[in-house]
Amino acid sequence: MFILNPQSGIPIYRQLVAQVTRLIAGGQLAAGTELPSVRELAELHAVNPMTISKAYALLESEGLLERQRGKPMRVAARRRGQAPLSQRLQQLDRSITDLVLAARQLEVGKKELLARLGEKWGDDHE
Amino acid sequence: MSEPIVVARGLGKSYGQRTALTGISADIEAGDVVGVLGKNGAGKTTLLETLLGFSPPTEGSARVFGEDCLAMSAATKGRIGFVPQQDELLGMLSGRQQLAVTAAFHSGWDHALIDRLVNEWAVPLDRRLQTLSVGERQKLSVLTALGHHPELLVLDEPVASLDPIARRQFLAELFEMPETKARTVLFSSHIVSDLERAANKVWIIKDGRLHWQGEIDALKESVVRLHIRARAPLPSGFSIPDALAVRVDGTAATVAMSQWREERGEALARSLDAAIEVEPLGLEEIFVELNR
Repeated sequence: MFILNPQSGIPIYRQLVAQVTRLIAGGQLAAGTELPSVRELAELHAVNPMTISKAYALLESEGLLERQRGKPMRVAARRRGQAPLSQRLQQLDRSITDLVLAARQLEVGKKELLARLGEKWGDDHE
Repeated sequence: MSEPIVVARGLGKSYGQRTALTGISADIEAGDVVGVLGKNGAGKTTLLETLLGFSPPTEGSARVFGEDCLAMSAATKGRIGFVPQQDELLGMLSGRQQLAVTAAFHSGWDHALIDRLVNEWAVPLDRRLQTLSVGERQKLSVLTALGHHPELLVLDEPVASLDPIARRQFLAELFEMPETKARTVLFSSHIVSDLERAANKVWIIKDGRLHWQGEIDALKESVVRLHIRARAPLPSGFSIPDALAVRVDGTAATVAMSQWREERGEALARSLDAAIEVEPLGLEEIFVELNR
């Protein structure tokens, strides 16, 4: 279900958070879907259960998963705009960093980049 | 707050003029799985043995379950399981006899658990131990340390001779404990991938000192390799703060550094007028960079 590579420079819990976040955003993990238990996932990937718990707790704090008493975690019902703006912005941080880096490497100026962003934004939303 | 399971303060060990270990201060909290990493001869075995009081420290002190490591009660010793690098099995015995001898030392020996593991790990019980392979002996040595459900398990290179499947079975067992107890583990291993799977914390030993200690996730987020490409040639003595290793070649440089944060990358790119790519590093690469 998930691809976890312990040898990666990206910590395992972050790999799991990123994948669950993407799968939920993409609709592959629908609201109400139960996730494997911490123990199952830890056993399957031969990793420390604490690592899986850490990822699940983070996903819960972001409102993506919800805990059910005595049952596995499940994907929370979608509540648009529920997370504070700062948290939603934080999710974009990595993409923004990559974008800025790529622009610098291509010697695309800030003005041109912002202009292009504006165009894109308009294309999709107006 | 209860005291951590293991507390070391200024712990050190010298053999005559030679200092094997010095200035070790660290705690192990209940439920931690601490992996110890270090080059050959860095002091890993000395550290594990000194922490447990097998070998008296020549400086500082260590406490285990709140007791001085040199004066642990029998009850406290019964909460510990230890697997030495060189197994201490009795070569004349069969595996079955060895397990019976070990079980006799512990009141709460879990025969059902050991029977299950003997089966799952395919440990031969009827042959004399001196005729077993190194891997078979390692498995048996681990079993002798697991049967009493130790709350603290200390393992010195426990699985170096096991194949990947046996190592995974072993790792899975590290986390198996009755629900009422947490298991705390301290283990040294050269198999870095095992450490990445199992440990939540890592201690890196270098020249007898604790060179780095902390969460493995924090270490991975802190140590990166930067690939810098500037417009103008970089000066010959080029370096940046917290650099571990720098390689400069004209306008390009590769820098392994610690204390990484994204803001630092942005500031650096501006000040050098350079494009910077950030390469996250696995533990093995980090270990190599920290040992340069």
